[in-house]
Amino acid sequence: MFNAKHVDQLRRIVGKDNVLATQEELLAYSYDATNMWQHLPDVVVLPTNANQISDILKLANESRIPVTPRGGGTNVSGGSIPIKGGIVLCTTRMNRIIEINRTNLNATVEPGVILQDLQEALAKEGLFFPPDPQSAQGCTMGGVVAENSGGPSCLKYGVAKQYVLGLEVVLADGRIVKLGGLTPKNRTGYELAMLFTGSEGTLGVISKITLRLLPSQKSSQTIVAVISDVAVAGETVTEIIASGVLPSKVEFVDNWTFEKFRGLLPDEILDKSQVILLIQVDGLPETVEAEAQQVVDICQSRAGEVKVAQNQAEADRYWQARTAHFSDISSRTHTIVNEDVSVPRDKIADFIKLGQESAKKYDVPISFAGHVGDGNFHPVVLTDSRNKEHYNRSLKCVEEIIEIALSLGGVLSGEHGIGLEKQRFLKKAMDPAAIEIMKAIKDVLDPNHILNPGKIWEETSD
Amino acid sequence: MKTSLNFEQIDRFKEDLDKCTKCGFCMSYCPVYQEEHVESSVARGKIMLIRALLDGTLEATDEMAEQLNRCTLCMTCAENCPAGTQVPAVITAARADKVRLKGLSFPYNIVYRWLLPRRRLFGGVVRLASWFQGIFLPKTEGTIRHLSLFLSALGKGRHIPQIAPKFLRQSVPEINKPPAGVEVKYTVGYFTGCMTDFVFPELGKKIINFLTRNSVEVVVPRGQGCCGAPVFLGAGDFATGRRMADTNVKAFKELDYIITDCATCASAMKDYVKFLADNDDRKREYTEFAGKIKDITEFLVDVLQLPPSAYRVAGEFKGKTVTWHEPCHLGRYLGVKEQPRKILKSIPDIHFVEMPDADRCCGMAGTFSIYFYDLSKKIADKKAASIDSTGADIVVTDCPGCQIQLIDSTTRHGMPQKVMHIMELFE
Repeated sequence: MFNAKHVDQLRRIVGKDNVLATQEELLAYSYDATNMWQHLPDVVVLPTNANQISDILKLANESRIPVTPRGGGTNVSGGSIPIKGGIVLCTTRMNRIIEINRTNLNATVEPGVILQDLQEALAKEGLFFPPDPQSAQGCTMGGVVAENSGGPSCLKYGVAKQYVLGLEVVLADGRIVKLGGLTPKNRTGYELAMLFTGSEGTLGVISKITLRLLPSQKSSQTIVAVISDVAVAGETVTEIIASGVLPSKVEFVDNWTFEKFRGLLPDEILDKSQVILLIQVDGLPETVEAEAQQVVDICQSRAGEVKVAQNQAEADRYWQARTAHFSDISSRTHTIVNEDVSVPRDKIADFIKLGQESAKKYDVPISFAGHVGDGNFHPVVLTDSRNKEHYNRSLKCVEEIIEIALSLGGVLSGEHGIGLEKQRFLKKAMDPAAIEIMKAIKDVLDPNHILNPGKIWEETSD
Repeated sequence: MKTSLNFEQIDRFKEDLDKCTKCGFCMSYCPVYQEEHVESSVARGKIMLIRALLDGTLEATDEMAEQLNRCTLCMTCAENCPAGTQVPAVITAARADKVRLKGLSFPYNIVYRWLLPRRRLFGGVVRLASWFQGIFLPKTEGTIRHLSLFLSALGKGRHIPQIAPKFLRQSVPEINKPPAGVEVKYTVGYFTGCMTDFVFPELGKKIINFLTRNSVEVVVPRGQGCCGAPVFLGAGDFATGRRMADTNVKAFKELDYIITDCATCASAMKDYVKFLADNDDRKREYTEFAGKIKDITEFLVDVLQLPPSAYRVAGEFKGKTVTWHEPCHLGRYLGVKEQPRKILKSIPDIHFVEMPDADRCCGMAGTFSIYFYDLSKKIADKKAASIDSTGADIVVTDCPGCQIQLIDSTTRHGMPQKVMHIMELFE
């Protein structure tokens, strides 16, 4: 276990300035963007290269010290909270974009690069990395891969795993391993890079990433539809997709967050509506125009108000209002329970209807928002963990909502991962044999269970 | 176990403290985080530290103070916060409670509590300091703000301008009337600030001339003092700050407009009511006082509404390419973003070019640059690169604090750009 002499050993590995150990510094690494857990690490280490990560892990492995890998700490699953103490291994100082290659349509980056910084650098080269989690302004690329992040654009373009070509990973015993490569096609052996993609820091520490890129889209159009009824909104989405248009984003916010849209859309319509759909189509200008019209036509028959953003600035304002949803909801109450289920697209309307009934049954406020185009929802129950009775009702409601999603053929987590937040549901959501396989893989790669311990599966089943 | 009764200032901003949802978006905007990449640097980290202070998990230690001081109060996080958390206000309040509980350390206690509020004595000490500056420091163009900055710079080799041989208030009368034949349309008070008074008196004279030429009678009240920014915003000493605020309110009581050439002074004075008003009388007086304050560019564009022809560029700057650094206190605090650009774009004699990230903090931030000079330099390096990318001959701004920082960083990088206050462009 951890003791004071380890701090000196870590200082020798990464240098004095890259080890944080005061109470104040440790507190700042005790949380992530969830609000149900907080735990202090014993020390925070900020390595600047893979060899340092290797030395840190060798030390931790020999001394059986828990290591929680962490980037921006923006996740909403509890995944980067050092729930067992020990070392927080933070990659934010490994933040170089090593190469952007326009011919190969790939980029190689260190894990600490902030996603938004990468997106800005790529845009200058006319390139684009589609995953766009709402946390893009703070999340780092190591986390994007380790959490297999999604976001609105994944409707058309897919999630992070579709863009991972190669990884350099440091294993628990300190071995530095190169997986995958630089090419889009690679049929050499097992897809081991995929094993670490979405592994939530439990199998290794990602120290370098090669990403597949796309050329930037030439044009895009944002359409906003204000709809009176949740079920109608669901049907609208289903019809848009069935009509042969594949928008890059179809987002859904309910009237909990309409405030952010005041001034952008007419009050009298907002006042009597339940849902705003934000839709973006992208591609060549002529295609975009035709597809936007198709979307407008479908929305018009169902929506109280349909607006096409007249310019990029107007579009940006709608998307900023959407991005603010999580913070907006979180700031309304002491505690939120934010879920991340994903249901098949043709079950969207059923899901929302049943979810609302459940919230009514347990008498708790609920807000629905999410990437409705791909069926990925973030139902948020607003509660207060200090009020045990209300909090327990909220947890029960959430549990029921997850069961509803699973019964409709959906999954437990679309994009946030399991972490601490969803591990109590894992057994319900996964084949027991699959859980056994995961554990067997964990034992091979991290036999001493030093990497991000306490995450994904519940302790009791360990 | 502490109760929140010990944190009366933080309590006033409790709502902001509670608003933060820890989303971490501030990482993308914080100039300090972008140099250090550690969580305690960024707004979210500081909010969590202050919450821990309030619930008794952490104490008001020197390390806590160090973390709270590690912020330029540039407000970029607040401007971009999806929950609308006013982090700079919370940090300022926390600094104040720390000072109230633990006091100020030497030499800041002497400088802030005793010297800055005493204008004449302060002038004398600055003068004394200037003699030492001549001996110990590299001389550069232009001239030192607070004594504390000087003390710090002495040890660290900052390229700072020299103290002026004659201070502004020693060079101009209290009442400056328009030249004969020009009618008086407005009478304004000019808040000169320490920097223009002690370091850039020529700028002050230029502003007085510019205004009088354009039908404005300019009063330079002798009773004015330091705005108090380093004292109550930087160091969190609200009691001394209140004395300084009262001095300035009294000095400008009879005037309808208070013109400043320093965005930091202006925003600090507008913030008296937010931080220092401890009773109804002060609340009323500070509110009234704040309503009179106008940045010079804001006054010229919004009140005087001068035509482009009024901006006569000095001969030596004609034909030059000019870029603009937007001070945090001007753009984000005072909301004055368009006015200086409007002036610069309208002048035919210069070529204006917008620099990338013109509103990004330069890293000066008064007291911050004393505590963390190396960090301040790194933030300034990014600004220097922005300036460099424009190919401009001159970079102008509207805050002598930023000006000092830009002079220091362009000099360190051997860059040719001349750093000036926007009003120095004119005859």
